[in-house]
Amino acid sequence: MRASQRFKFISLSITWAWFGIFVLAPIVLIGITSILTQNEISIVSTPLTIQSFYDTLTGGYAPIFLYSLLIAATTTLLCLLIGYPFAFIITRASNRFRPLMLMLLMIPFWVSSLIRAYAMVIMLKAQGLINIALIYLGIIYKPLHLLYTDFAVMSGLLYNLLPFMVLPLYANLAKLDHTLIEAAQDLGATRWQTFKGVILPHSIPGIISGVILVFLPAMTLFYIPEFLGGAKTLLIGNLIQHEFLVIGNWPKGAAASVILMLITLLLLIPYWKSQPKPTRAKS
Amino acid sequence: MIKINEKIITNCFSFLIYAFLYIPILVVVVYSFNKSQFSMIWEGFSLKWYRELINDHEILTATWHSLLLGFLASTSAVLLGSLAAVCIKRYKFQGRKLLHGLVFTLVVIPDLVMGIALLILFHFLPVPLGFWSLFFAHTTFCLPFVIVTLHARLGQLDKHLFESAKDLGASEFVLFRQIILPLLGPALISSWLLSFTLSIDDVIISYFVAGPSFEILPLKIYAMVRTGVTPEVNAISTIILGFTLLFVVGATLIRRKK
Amino acid sequence: MIKRLFSLLLIVLSTNAFAQKSQINIYCWGNYIPKEILRKFEAETGIHVNLSEYDSNSVLYIKLKTVPKSYYDVIFPSSSYVTRMKNEHLIRKLDHSKLPNIKNINNALLQHSVDPMMDYSIPYFWGTTGIIVNDKYHNPKNITSWQALWLPKYKNQLLILDDMQEVFSMAFSVLGYPLNDTDPDHIKQAYELLRKLLPNIKLFRTDAAQEAFIGEDATIGMGWNGDMFRSMRHNPHIKFIFPKNPLTFWIDCTAIPINSPNPEGAYKFVNFLMRPDIAAEIAIREGYSSPNSAAIKLMPKTMRESKTLNPPESVINRMVIQKDLGKARLIYGKYWERLKLGL
Repeated sequence: MRASQRFKFISLSITWAWFGIFVLAPIVLIGITSILTQNEISIVSTPLTIQSFYDTLTGGYAPIFLYSLLIAATTTLLCLLIGYPFAFIITRASNRFRPLMLMLLMIPFWVSSLIRAYAMVIMLKAQGLINIALIYLGIIYKPLHLLYTDFAVMSGLLYNLLPFMVLPLYANLAKLDHTLIEAAQDLGATRWQTFKGVILPHSIPGIISGVILVFLPAMTLFYIPEFLGGAKTLLIGNLIQHEFLVIGNWPKGAAASVILMLITLLLLIPYWKSQPKPTRAKS
Repeated sequence: MIKINEKIITNCFSFLIYAFLYIPILVVVVYSFNKSQFSMIWEGFSLKWYRELINDHEILTATWHSLLLGFLASTSAVLLGSLAAVCIKRYKFQGRKLLHGLVFTLVVIPDLVMGIALLILFHFLPVPLGFWSLFFAHTTFCLPFVIVTLHARLGQLDKHLFESAKDLGASEFVLFRQIILPLLGPALISSWLLSFTLSIDDVIISYFVAGPSFEILPLKIYAMVRTGVTPEVNAISTIILGFTLLFVVGATLIRRKK
Repeated sequence: MIKRLFSLLLIVLSTNAFAQKSQINIYCWGNYIPKEILRKFEAETGIHVNLSEYDSNSVLYIKLKTVPKSYYDVIFPSSSYVTRMKNEHLIRKLDHSKLPNIKNINNALLQHSVDPMMDYSIPYFWGTTGIIVNDKYHNPKNITSWQALWLPKYKNQLLILDDMQEVFSMAFSVLGYPLNDTDPDHIKQAYELLRKLLPNIKLFRTDAAQEAFIGEDATIGMGWNGDMFRSMRHNPHIKFIFPKNPLTFWIDCTAIPINSPNPEGAYKFVNFLMRPDIAAEIAIREGYSSPNSAAIKLMPKTMRESKTLNPPESVINRMVIQKDLGKARLIYGKYWERLKLGL
């Protein structure tokens, strides 16, 4: 009995120590930092204040948050509009092709996202593939300004995040019973009615997972606007990175991080609601 | 007639998506063999950039560091994660809910926030930025994925097995080592592989906690893209892509054989 | 099984990550030191060099300040930051007896430095900030002063350095104020002037400015003369223009942080950089003006006689050294941030 208690004690202590130091403490520290004051000598110091939150939400940062949300939302919408039909096509593919199609979707996703962002730069440069091709075809004779625009940032995000939308949608739609669709069609439902009445309601959890997997990174992948957006297009991620590493205003960066966490939580609520309650195994 | 049309449309649509996914990467691969340094104009086939890569020992060291870090961090994540999963699954203790919450938080917290949180933590702890900070950070962000995988697997195991083992006088440690771990075998391996890929691929968290004495590959690539050292990036991307393909094809073949 | 794994881990750890071979950590501007030079140093001394890069003095300063545990051995601050770093005890006083090659550094411009006796910092490169145009797209003859950048026809085309002090100096130059002005009112006026420039700005870049100009993603903007001297080798359409206004010049230095883990290695490296053949090779590869008179003799004629690298007397007379902003840095920072956010 004693030996068994000892194992329980040791493993619990190790687990708690790790989670306490490397998960709980850092998160608490971010919270504390966000209400401290910036200090030239020791980075942060008392007095406690909510000035950083005030600054972040009013002092001109609100447009950044809104803009960031807008870019992320547009990217997510594009991913959904492209990813949904694509996921559906994969589920309808023959057994021979389906694994191949999925694998082809996964392979670029296995290459570092940094490299995928960089590949987008190569495409969009003034002397990049798109401009060279268009000039060669005689459609344009002066290179288009594609790089360092919002368009470039969104292409980069779309390119990086599309698989994150397709995969949960596929997992969800694959479970859809195809006889249901046939039944609906036999009953005289039009394609649109079948989609609206049968397919769409069934796929809501998949859509929500996909949206979360795309929307959240879209706000924080700071290197994508950095490579593609000319440093004028700032997302929340860039703002936080800038505050911490360039300006050195930790409280403000921490406050922005806390706000980002809250946005994340807000987004997760519909996800929790859409998921069936996990059956909690009782020991 | 309608059926054929639909087929053409879906095929075209899929083709366009795959084109969108593959053309940029293929361009990178093709241009890794281009002689020219800055322009996209084809100046002839050359292995120059690969030669530069092989001679660039910073890249080689960074690659070695990334592999080492991935190996160590995923191993410790699997060790810690299996302990944690067993604790959460088998024991009642105070703060179990909190632990649950922390695991969940780790899954959903944006990488960026985690990176910053750890940066602040290491500011206060006597941990130099370098190998150790990266090791702690990587182990931590791999942990929840290990725990979730193992927790699910534990739920599928036969409880009676544990009880009979205990009846036969096995201590908790013996039970853990001789019964639970072997039964978790495949789940341990798959969570190790998942951790390894997460660790190798991470940019954002490492960006905040890395130090000069331990450079890793993703950060090296980040710096190269930023400063515009492009042909070498093309070459290294091609090599990474090659390894990825080998790995994926190999894994598929092995699974087929089974 | 676990035990074996642990012992394996320990072996791996002890042999690799922690083998105490001699090494130094260099923290330098991006594209500012050729890798070949680092390899040469390693071959000659057996000291391993780790190189990390930053893209503005601010990033370097904040890193030293907020992450003192990052342990750099040699850094490359601009002289304007040297005073600040010295005052805040971030860099150490240099022991000249360990730097015999220091005798090679004797440039007339040095007298303008904040640290003319080289007590804390040793000049590495110097240069000035001017206007860059691509003559395929714009006629360089029409662009003679900073004011030209404000012309509406350059809408969404400019590349502006991602460097607070450089950009404000340019605005002060247009307004006719001292280039290192710290008067809050003047800073606000400069901000308002720059605010009007915003519609013309396509991107802020320092590190990859060269690539943007060579690849013609940017065809007009501001830049450093050395950077552009190097770019011209790849794209002959790039032209560097000294504006008619007063313009800044800066001296980038090597310095050794106070918490350098390997100061002996750091001294060796700094001394190595001042050796005439090495300094010449660095300057040739990077394209910047060297303060090393022994090295200049070894450089090719094209570099010694380049107008871009050696501004004529008339230009030198209106050059002003970049200085530490002191407390005004925070005011600059506030407006700079607003500018970058487009507010």
